[in-house]
Amino acid sequence: MGRSNTRVILLIIAAALILVLISLGQYSSSSAGISCVREGYLVFNKIITSPFTFIADLWKDYIYLVDTKRDNEELKKSNDALRVQSMNLEELRSENERLRLMLDFKAAHTEFSLYPASLLAQDITLVFKTAVIDKGSRSGFFVNMPIVNPDGVVGRVVAVSSHTSQILMITDPNSAIPALIASTRVKGIVKGTGGESLRLEYVRRTDDVKIGDFVVTSGLLGIFPKGLRIGYVKDIQVDERKIFADILLAPCVDMEKIEGIFGIGQDVATTD
Amino acid sequence: MWRLQISLFGILFAIVLMEATIIPSIWAPLRVDFFIGMIIGQIIYIPFSQGFPFVILSSLILQAFSGARLGLIPLLYILTFLAIEFLKNLVYLENTFTQLVMGIGFYLALMVVTAIFTDISLFEGKAASLIIGALLSGCVSPAMVYTVRRLQIAYE
Repeated sequence: MGRSNTRVILLIIAAALILVLISLGQYSSSSAGISCVREGYLVFNKIITSPFTFIADLWKDYIYLVDTKRDNEELKKSNDALRVQSMNLEELRSENERLRLMLDFKAAHTEFSLYPASLLAQDITLVFKTAVIDKGSRSGFFVNMPIVNPDGVVGRVVAVSSHTSQILMITDPNSAIPALIASTRVKGIVKGTGGESLRLEYVRRTDDVKIGDFVVTSGLLGIFPKGLRIGYVKDIQVDERKIFADILLAPCVDMEKIEGIFGIGQDVATTD
Repeated sequence: MWRLQISLFGILFAIVLMEATIIPSIWAPLRVDFFIGMIIGQIIYIPFSQGFPFVILSSLILQAFSGARLGLIPLLYILTFLAIEFLKNLVYLENTFTQLVMGIGFYLALMVVTAIFTDISLFEGKAASLIIGALLSGCVSPAMVYTVRRLQIAYE
């Protein structure tokens, strides 16, 4: 009994000494004992914790990824929705811009009775340049009504029904508008070519025409009010053997991007 | 018979929507002709007594969406119908490749004839849209033939 008590006391003293030794060297990087304990603890820790780490990693990398995948899909959907929303906002912005331009145009031309309309359909052939709009006789549209947009002349109405009208664009080969060059008042006839450009005909080669000159409606024939912009001169060919110059115009209106248009009412002075 | 004809006219209005509104809104100078494929389908699968009146009525409807002189569009499509009816005896029309080639060929022929009638230069700034339009018309022709065939089988 006394012997065993002595052994216990010696063991406690030894343990206390070890603890003292350990605590004395705990800030010493060169302490081999401390290092061994740490290294041993590391191995022990790894052995004990590795199965749990394995399970945890498995959970994080595979099982938990199911949620991540779902989150990813939801984020993708959300991203797609935001992109669509962004496109819609962009469309609304451009529509707003277009409507603002139309309102500005209407405010700037109080002398005209303007009837707004939108494009419904375009010509089914590549050759002709006509379009159908969503307003007809019930909205005040009539045959030969001038059609414009804020940039200039678009064309005129050639057929009308209760709720739709067919318009002949100025680029159609059947279109002819009396016109004059704004700066020099030289008169001519603007005809469509069926392509992107217009032709100014019956202008003598000796007349004063320069590239960049604006061409406007002259008001003759009484269909178009005078002073509406049609296009500007982009090419002049003069042949000494011909009486008239070959003049090509670029239309002021981008015919490929027409959306909103106006019909000009009858109560307008059109004569030159 | 009536159900088939009503369905065909329903498809015709879908064609107008595509040709006159949707495709020009994507690229303004582009025109794709879906009707040529329908004509080929009519010739192969529908009796002449039903197909010919359908083409006449349809082309009159299509005339409403063109600035061409009144009667020009029906004339061109009736001539197309008669030409394909004649070719039926010479070419095996049920072949997809043949339908594709005929779609391209007749699209170009219709545009050239229209340009000649109206004295317009067809290639001034339009060459790219003309070629793409012809290729797309060729591609949709077999699909339209298939649509007519499916309708004919469904209502037979």
